[in-house]
Amino acid sequence: MHLSDDDIVRSISARSPEGIEALYDRYGGLAHTVALRILSDRGAAEDVVQESFLAVWRRGSTFQSGRGSLRSWICTIVRNRAIDRLRGDRHRTRLDTPIEGESLEPAVSDPWAAVALELSGEEVRKALSELPAEQRQTIELAYYGGYSQSEIATAMEVPLGTVKGRVRIALDKLRASLADRVETPWQTQ
Amino acid sequence: MADAMSHDEVADLLALEAVGALEPSERDGMERHLSTCAACRHTADEYAELASLLPAALELVPPPARLRRNLMAEVYAEATASPTVPWWRRLIDAIPASRTFTVVGAVAVIAAIAFGIWGATSRTNLQPPVTVSYTVSGTTATGTLDVPAGGTPAVLMVNGLQPLPSTKTYEVWLIPPQGSPKGVAFLSPSPAVGGWVAVVPGSLAGYKSLAATVEPAGGSPTPSNTEVLSGQLTAS
Repeated sequence: MHLSDDDIVRSISARSPEGIEALYDRYGGLAHTVALRILSDRGAAEDVVQESFLAVWRRGSTFQSGRGSLRSWICTIVRNRAIDRLRGDRHRTRLDTPIEGESLEPAVSDPWAAVALELSGEEVRKALSELPAEQRQTIELAYYGGYSQSEIATAMEVPLGTVKGRVRIALDKLRASLADRVETPWQTQ
Repeated sequence: MADAMSHDEVADLLALEAVGALEPSERDGMERHLSTCAACRHTADEYAELASLLPAALELVPPPARLRRNLMAEVYAEATASPTVPWWRRLIDAIPASRTFTVVGAVAVIAAIAFGIWGATSRTNLQPPVTVSYTVSGTTATGTLDVPAGGTPAVLMVNGLQPLPSTKTYEVWLIPPQGSPKGVAFLSPSPAVGGWVAVVPGSLAGYKSLAATVEPAGGSPTPSNTEVLSGQLTAS
């Protein structure tokens, strides 16, 4: 039986092990790929993936379906834990900070999440390849290397403002490029 | 406090936040703005979603089968945990869940606990009542899959299997009427009982049979060898 992402979230919220099993079967490969890309160590990557899914299991229902996709959510959790491991900061866990937003009002449905779900890896690779090298390198240093804005500025020998601009322009270009590649109607707000 | 940041300034910070590059010193101002600005919260969600697409460009590296086994063993153990810590929970907790789990460790743990399960029958709280027992067999092996009451994990105990080199393992599969077998556990040697033991987590509902195959250490996504053991999941 095929479970939708919403079905999986409901199952996890109800403390059903089958929910975590379905989540892992759908996104475990992606989670492992992200952790391995960041850590370059198979053992450490496996540990991070296991810790991340166990954290989801133990915390249950912190995912808010109106605020992005389940894939985005689990990627964020795994990425944050892998970066924490990379930096040797094992005491800090950022599971909730970008996810829960409990103080926020209920969000409207995010059309970009629906668009994103239709994209293939090849389409994302192509969109990334169209970015200028310095923009691509900037977001990869941040996302996979765990570098902060000031650390990137130092590493690339550019002003802080340049880093800020490159990241935003890169994401805006990706959004425009990827939105053109899917059929789902897309309107920026 | 007045919100001194413009939407444009906040969008810059949201982009940094999405890729994990925001400086901690800039977080307070951004979050203050977000608390009163629905449009920027929407932008925050968009950027986060975009950043999460970055891994889609990577070549997928499938995780080893043992990762799923270890994860689900822990999840099922917690799902069925009770304050009194029953015997099966002690069994699962005692099995190292990390990837550094070794055969030597497994032997010691399984032997000790299996000895306790089978030997200390006078301790009435140690061995739960078995509601269903399935028979499994192979060319040289025989055994049982005992399903305790209360939805606790089933335990597979087998005699007659040959020892394996450290590069191989006996992997246990649940086989549905249609579709692919699901790897659920590994058999570990138990010298104390002269056989092999595996904890099979999760429900058996929806599966018609159980089998074991010899696989590379760490397991395989699907069975790659013929069965050394099998049994129908109909009560014997």
